[in-house]
Amino acid sequence: MEIDVQITSESEELDAIINKYPGEKRYIMAIMHDLSRHFNYLPRPALEATARHTGVPFSQVYSMATFYKAFSLVPRGRVHFKVCDGTTCHIKGSQIIIDEIYSRLNIKPGETTADLQFSLETVNCIGACALAPALLANGKVHPRLNATRVRQVIAEYGGPEYEKKE
Amino acid sequence: MRKKSKKKQVLVCCGTGCIANGGLDVYQAFKNNPGGLFELASSDDIKATGCHGLCSSGPFVRILPDDITYCQVKASDVEEIIEKSIKGSELINRLLYRDPQSKKRVQNLDKIAFNSMQVKKALRNVGLINPESLQDYLERQGYQALHKALKMKPEAVAQEIIDAGLRGRGGGGFPTGLKWKACQAAASTPKYIVCNGDEGDPGAFMDESIMEGDPHTILEGMSICAYTVGASKGFIYVRDEYAGSVTALTRAISDAREHSFLGNNILGSGLNFDIEIVRGGGAFVCGEETALLASIEGNVGEPWDKYVFPTEKGLWGQPTVINNVETWSNVPLILLEGAKKFASTGTAGSKGTKVFSLVGKVVNTGLVEVPMGTSLRDIIFTIGGGVPGKRKFKAVQTGGPSGGCIPESLLDLKVDFDSLSEAGSMMGSGGMIVMDDRTCMVEVARYYLQFLAGESCGKCVPCREGIRSMLEILERICNGQGCLQDLDLLEDIGESVRTAALCALGRTAPNPVLSTLKYFRDEYLEHIVNHRCPAGVCKELSEFYIDAELCNGCGLCAKNCPVDAVQGEKKQPHVIDNSKCIKCGECINECQFLAVKVR
Amino acid sequence: MKILIDGIEIEAQPGETILEAAKRTGIHIPTLCYHEAFGGQGSCRFCMVEVTKNGSSRVVASCTYPVNDGIEVKTSTPQIDKIRRNIAMLLYKRAPNSLFMQTLYKEHLCTENNLTEDPHEKCILCRLCVNACASMGVSAISTVMRGTDKRVATPYDDAAAVCIGCAACAQVCPTGCIEVQEEGNTRRIWNRDFVMVACEDCGKKFATREQLAYIVDKSKQDSPEGELQLCETCRRKVIARKLETFNG
Repeated sequence: MEIDVQITSESEELDAIINKYPGEKRYIMAIMHDLSRHFNYLPRPALEATARHTGVPFSQVYSMATFYKAFSLVPRGRVHFKVCDGTTCHIKGSQIIIDEIYSRLNIKPGETTADLQFSLETVNCIGACALAPALLANGKVHPRLNATRVRQVIAEYGGPEYEKKE
Repeated sequence: MRKKSKKKQVLVCCGTGCIANGGLDVYQAFKNNPGGLFELASSDDIKATGCHGLCSSGPFVRILPDDITYCQVKASDVEEIIEKSIKGSELINRLLYRDPQSKKRVQNLDKIAFNSMQVKKALRNVGLINPESLQDYLERQGYQALHKALKMKPEAVAQEIIDAGLRGRGGGGFPTGLKWKACQAAASTPKYIVCNGDEGDPGAFMDESIMEGDPHTILEGMSICAYTVGASKGFIYVRDEYAGSVTALTRAISDAREHSFLGNNILGSGLNFDIEIVRGGGAFVCGEETALLASIEGNVGEPWDKYVFPTEKGLWGQPTVINNVETWSNVPLILLEGAKKFASTGTAGSKGTKVFSLVGKVVNTGLVEVPMGTSLRDIIFTIGGGVPGKRKFKAVQTGGPSGGCIPESLLDLKVDFDSLSEAGSMMGSGGMIVMDDRTCMVEVARYYLQFLAGESCGKCVPCREGIRSMLEILERICNGQGCLQDLDLLEDIGESVRTAALCALGRTAPNPVLSTLKYFRDEYLEHIVNHRCPAGVCKELSEFYIDAELCNGCGLCAKNCPVDAVQGEKKQPHVIDNSKCIKCGECINECQFLAVKVR
Repeated sequence: MKILIDGIEIEAQPGETILEAAKRTGIHIPTLCYHEAFGGQGSCRFCMVEVTKNGSSRVVASCTYPVNDGIEVKTSTPQIDKIRRNIAMLLYKRAPNSLFMQTLYKEHLCTENNLTEDPHEKCILCRLCVNACASMGVSAISTVMRGTDKRVATPYDDAAAVCIGCAACAQVCPTGCIEVQEEGNTRRIWNRDFVMVACEDCGKKFATREQLAYIVDKSKQDSPEGELQLCETCRRKVIARKLETFNG
């Protein structure tokens, strides 16, 4: 899926973010975290600028951006779901949640809907094991889910409506 | 230092679990209460604390010095609490913990089985202090250990840690004092101190609760080590998903600098030591020491062979001490109470206590700290309250993806570094996941392999290709396409991965498979030979039905079925339409009579 | 210091690895990801050996394990042979159409099993190509992703701006999986076309324009018109002639 986002016009913003850090290899991750927070993903020009600033080959910066799952090279959705697939959530049914999101929104983990409204990621444990299975929607925890409640959550965030059972 | 106030204190649990359940709203309700509380306490005495431990009953409000704890508190309860229990001395019964055995209400949570068997050492301050307050930390002997250490010879400090018998709490179990001593002896400078806060085991949140709930103890431990080995720079590597920990540690470092506990000439001793926080990038492998160091250096998290220890060649090739969060939190304690006292708890080979995150199919889920040598049975059944909902205990998974599953027959095993390894598992970082008869052990092995396939760094062949192959075999078995030779192949590949992989992630990757093959071979055979998943988890191999003799027609299953697959008249036995069933298991979860079964 | 490898006593230098000591004294230990220009990587685990030190034994990678005084090394035991067999089998499954892997599979007596094979893959992720490119100072390629998704690529799989088309990566690759297409004056590698330069003496096309420009840039010299436009063979001849006149 091709998503084209122009950021060259915002290169002042880009410089401001990157120049906060010394031009050394060891700051690449911190720079990528800040870029990610600002742009909601890592745009290519941003990675190229990071490589120039730190003096590290572009191929290595790209290697880091693809190695670490905290970063996405594809824009995330307006609503970003992080479904916890830690062991506790898993044995309490996180796969049902993932399947349900796929059946409502047609996205798998790592994907964003074509209209950029929703994206999905699985994470390894959000530390809310007593409330399993859980997901985060834009950082907010939705606990004790099942197939029905997932549909409610999706509708709550503007997704396809579901039919309430009589 | 402020004298301990006789005024009341209100502690509101704001650990991650309770925040998810509305804990912050409760805290805000106290802070916003117009004039109510300020008669009795300064605003400092309403504290948002770290985790109180019993996550399944949160959010908590604990009132001191009366020691009343209210459970599952909502923001709407706060006014009543203020009126009755803070301004007055009444108890609100409906908010007190109800003992599941005696059915009685309990005022002081320290008295219930969950807490009475625990010994809080690493967690000594968590839940009792406001982690943003340096003052709170100082009032509980904070930084006194550092004062003491600075007056000792560095060699004496290292010896104290050796004599205490402290072993790494991150899973490796390496004797901490020996690590420090080796770094001390290394000639090259600069030297580095690193805290491994990359708690990646799914289901483990012990380190999170210490980083969020008592950040200064980590700083103090690291400073003591810096003095001992001669280091001037430290790093705390925090897992990316732990934003709360990053905030708490950042604040603590800033306060510590301001008060001369960090920075130049610490407490006038001449020690220069400062700490920087490095955020992880979402890679479980970075919990492995050398991968973590590679990550700090600005590389991908690929480990290197540890034939030369990091204490000799670590961060940027320099002598480095890297220890886990819980290990660091034990260090000030050892200096304060002395090695001998510390070593009086625990077993011969494993001194002190261990924090576990007890989660899964267990009544009391949360954080538990017990002396080493406590039995699994005590932890799961006495402290944990056993398996909920009339279901049967099946296994307990310890050590995360590096560990194994322990069956009922071994529940009397004592928890320490060596006993669990002998049984084919390991203590690991402290994750303890209880499983019942609705957990499929073959699927658990598949799950861990899938996890590791995504987390493997991919550098070495045995891990990358070995895990890929073992996962392929497990997936076939879970889909009903396994054959008996698959079990031999699993063992053969597993054996090579265990000996040849580059790092501990790879070398322990076969553990979940090998341990479930050892203790639950029947379940594998059932999948392969009879194409049946007894736990009803593997969808291709499961079919649910309702036992007409047990069903009383209450209709709960039908009501909760998301696809309308259950039919039946009121008070008549219900029936599942297998052509519609998506096997989500809600009917089984809802049924009070265990009438829904796996064919 | 003295160490034993397969019962043979050899003199080892402090700071070298078991593999280096073995190579130096003519003892064979099989490797897949080792190249003397880059040193030991520790990724293929093919070079595992059994080391006994102070009475206890363990299996280690000989390419990264530093020698210590008095160790006894065995390059082949049933356990080690099984490790090599499984590594060969696993890599074969990954790249069954590579001649290199087919040979290794037979050599290590691998037996058939029902694991799937990837008919399209030839790379065994030894990373010699990445190392070669980095040692050229170019780093046009790197490993991307991790775990089972890991592979060697240019950023975004695009033609890399910094690639000089030198094909050092293809030369060092054991399975020949890096495609280099040469037609007329052009070389195509990693999705990019390069113009080849012909040797002034013998006319052989020996380097790309970008490669020569890169060398000039790195050596900070003005383009020595004569010497640089010669292929290696012809340049050696020139140097030999110069030495002759010097000696003579």
